[in-house]
Amino acid sequence: MKTLTLSAFALALTLPSLPALGSDMPQDDTSRKDALTLWGVQFEELEYRYSDDDEELGVWNGDAFYGTDELKFRWQSKGEYAIEEEAYEKLENQLLLQTPVSDFFDAKAGVRFDTPEGPDRTYGVLGLTGLAPHWFEVDASLYVSDEGDTSAEFDAEYELLFTNHLILSAALDATVAFSEDREIGVGKGLVSTETGLRLSYDLIDRSFSPYLGVVHERKYGDTADLARAEGAGTEDWFAVIGARVSF
Amino acid sequence: MNASKLFVAAAAMSMTATTFAAGSHGGGHGSSIGEPGNAGDVSRTIQVEMHDNYYEPEAIEVARGETVRFVIENKGRLVHEFNIGTPEMHEAHQDEMKMMVEHGVIQGDKLNEDMMNMDMGNGQTMKHDDPNSILLEPGQKKEIIWTFSSKTNMEFACNIPGHYQSGMYGDVNFDSAADTQARAD
Amino acid sequence: MKNALMAGALGLLMPVMAAAGEYSLTVDRVMIDTGDFVKEGIGYNGASPGPVLRFKEGESVTINVTNNLDEPTSIHWHGLILPFEQDGVPGISFEGIQPGETFTYEFPIVQSGTYWFHSHSGFQEPNGAYGAIVIEPEGREPFRYDRDYVVQLTDKHPHDANRVMRNLKMMPDYYNRQQQTVGDFFADISKHGFMTALQDRLAWGDMRMMKADVEDVQGFTGLINGKGPEQNWTGLFEPGERIRLRFINSSAMAYFDIRIPGLEMTVVQADGNNVQPVNVDEFRIGVAETYDVIVRPKTAEAYTIFAESMGRSGYARATLAPEEGMEGPVPGLREAPLLTMADMSGMHGMDHGDMTGADASAGMDHSDMNQGEMDPDGMKDDSGMAADASDSMAGMDHSGMDHGAMIMSEGGASDPFYAEGSGLVPVAANGGKFLSYADLRAQKPLYEEREPTREIELRLTGNMERYTWSINGVKYEDAEPLRLQYGERVRFKFVNETMMTHPMHLHGMWSILDVGAGEWNPVKHVISVQPGTTVYMETEVDAPGQWAFHCHLSYHAASGMFRKVVVEGGPDQGNTAGAEVAKDGGDA
Repeated sequence: MKTLTLSAFALALTLPSLPALGSDMPQDDTSRKDALTLWGVQFEELEYRYSDDDEELGVWNGDAFYGTDELKFRWQSKGEYAIEEEAYEKLENQLLLQTPVSDFFDAKAGVRFDTPEGPDRTYGVLGLTGLAPHWFEVDASLYVSDEGDTSAEFDAEYELLFTNHLILSAALDATVAFSEDREIGVGKGLVSTETGLRLSYDLIDRSFSPYLGVVHERKYGDTADLARAEGAGTEDWFAVIGARVSF
Repeated sequence: MNASKLFVAAAAMSMTATTFAAGSHGGGHGSSIGEPGNAGDVSRTIQVEMHDNYYEPEAIEVARGETVRFVIENKGRLVHEFNIGTPEMHEAHQDEMKMMVEHGVIQGDKLNEDMMNMDMGNGQTMKHDDPNSILLEPGQKKEIIWTFSSKTNMEFACNIPGHYQSGMYGDVNFDSAADTQARAD
Repeated sequence: MKNALMAGALGLLMPVMAAAGEYSLTVDRVMIDTGDFVKEGIGYNGASPGPVLRFKEGESVTINVTNNLDEPTSIHWHGLILPFEQDGVPGISFEGIQPGETFTYEFPIVQSGTYWFHSHSGFQEPNGAYGAIVIEPEGREPFRYDRDYVVQLTDKHPHDANRVMRNLKMMPDYYNRQQQTVGDFFADISKHGFMTALQDRLAWGDMRMMKADVEDVQGFTGLINGKGPEQNWTGLFEPGERIRLRFINSSAMAYFDIRIPGLEMTVVQADGNNVQPVNVDEFRIGVAETYDVIVRPKTAEAYTIFAESMGRSGYARATLAPEEGMEGPVPGLREAPLLTMADMSGMHGMDHGDMTGADASAGMDHSDMNQGEMDPDGMKDDSGMAADASDSMAGMDHSGMDHGAMIMSEGGASDPFYAEGSGLVPVAANGGKFLSYADLRAQKPLYEEREPTREIELRLTGNMERYTWSINGVKYEDAEPLRLQYGERVRFKFVNETMMTHPMHLHGMWSILDVGAGEWNPVKHVISVQPGTTVYMETEVDAPGQWAFHCHLSYHAASGMFRKVVVEGGPDQGNTAGAEVAKDGGDA
């Protein structure tokens, strides 16, 4: 009797180790087992600017991404369109690959194409983007142009919540050049800053948030000299109206 | 704080015992739930089984003036009570039982006798010794002899927190035929 | 193919079965009207929620599921003990149900109680693919009631679930409209002083964590049995009756705090298993949990069933009334809770070596909790407990984190299943009894008590900013299956290192929650693990095959907090099913 039970037990033990049973088990090849692949489109700025010397600009700063937690492809686009001149004062597109390097930061690398009115430039891009302590969204990029010039750009943004829908965001963008690229009006040293304050209201979720704001642009040092030499201004104040859009 | 609460509980419990002795506790309309009976007057024995958490049977028939021997056996795995009273009395008693649970006198599947007999400071204890009620550990079997008087809205119930609320009670139905019989006698 | 074969084999045995219920479900695109908005979703037999399936313990059920969608689907029978091929998880139990296909589930019903079913494919469940299961026991219930109602809750969101997932990934705070504002900062200043308020902000800002991060997905309308607060689902009663309410939380993300002002509730069942009755004024139901309560309204008035979400961003409402159309007062939402540093105490990488309070809770071993002391109501008035809580808060003040002046939660409410000093500890609206896991005791032990054969630690991990969720830091896509041996009793140690609550659900086998009551530990299918706490559960590994094991928050599971469990060894599944059937037949 005892032997019988024992052998039954032994049988029960050997059964599952038979390869036949193992291969019967479904393999999880559903999308659940794949990395979540997502996309998104965001325009931090999509606005009309009116300057203190009556210049009118259409401006955007947005990006679209596709990818996983581990690797994203990002297309970042910035432009400033002078409405009267019907010309792009600024038109830059970056194609980037982005991957996490810490809990809060991603490294990115790619190419940047500048195709405004005037000479074009192509750059190699290396950068870091993420969330710094105290909720500062920061983005730092290093560029090397096809002309061999290097420059760096630093972006920071901070949001102040008056309410959960009425939000004041402060943005600072600064560019530094390590060498001069006279053709595109860039002098060595601190090139320019753009500071903006925008008061937005989340009208439709976070998909559509109209805002009003002020933007201050300034050129510095050699870059300012180059601008003056061309008869252009070195400092502008803009009133802006626009919307933050995401979908 | 705790000590004074315990005292109140103990006092309340001895109070109910006293009122029973006086045989005048409120079932409303001057009715009475009856009183502890004498073994010599017993006309009938009713077996009641306690389970987790219900009785078998869930209704009994009694006659006015009848003295019944209840043999109560806890066939469950938890402590249960068998308590004869009106729904109002049960409700009042539930607060006391809650306190007994909170103070570890009733511990789910066993009773803490030491805690029960502990002197609360002035001769009062947490003893559960009302004559209309009995508290049984799993496997225990005890008796209550009870004489029913007038027809009253009565239930037998387990007032351990949650037990009554979830349905551990039974109806005490007064047999009207037997009533008539009793009156004729 | 194998399923078809098995179905065939079972089909042959059908005539000898004691009882066999046959059910049909169609999976359809439906419109869902919450009263606040109408949106397309997925339902069963033309409606969301689907029908209440009523089974009887001991019967064998046949359920024909026809997929009328243009995408694959599945149905998981949540909490039911059944052969793994019938469990309904595509890629783990079976291949799924293709569009146009009818799949036949067949399994014996070996339990009773309140359960539910839902799709386990993509985001069909948050999109509406769920329904209730009520199983009548073979014998009598250990409690009595005159009528019963299913009260099935969900958090219906106006956005399609795929979009919710995408938005959360893009902006983790996309749906959080309870973030601390400038106004809150000034309120904190006037309450706690400038330095304290500032230090508090700096401490949270330093971690890049939000204390208002209690509910990821806000903006939903709470539904009860498919009805929004305005549509007011109503259950009728006669005064004096005992009513059994079968609460099921079928939400994607929302925990609910449930109360019925004016009525005490007696909890008699949790996750389908009877518990020793506990009288409460309010209870919190985690996602995918069920609680059965008995209430006894004595007067002919309308009572409001009020279910506030844990983060107070939404609510569901229904009514118990003697007649249709009556309404009770509807309470307002209470103030939203805020996380405290105690809730962060499990966070990876935080130096909390000196945080006495936090360590005490993180390392909390529930088995120390007075073994065998059956004291369900005792927790509440235990002054020792309250003292512990305040001690630990004092302890945190002296912690090495240099957050000396942190703003802590108020009230000092305490529950052993929350971190000490947690901001999430629930308090009953009427100041009465709020159910704790610590109150739960099995009505009847399901298994013989024995020592676990081994312990497996599962750290619940994640990164809120990236909206990635994982177990032991590994997402499902990168994870090896968890291998268990048939016949062992495994002790799972959940360590929540995130600041979110995770309702962990193991398929196919019971989760015996360690509340320190030994053989009386309650038997569940979902174990809710609060931030900064360690919770233990034990599982008798008695179901061969492979099973899913995951956080039941839809967007956490989808972003990686998911595992496959393989039970190795044990009797061959096919034979077991056959044996079960034969046994049933023999009884007839």
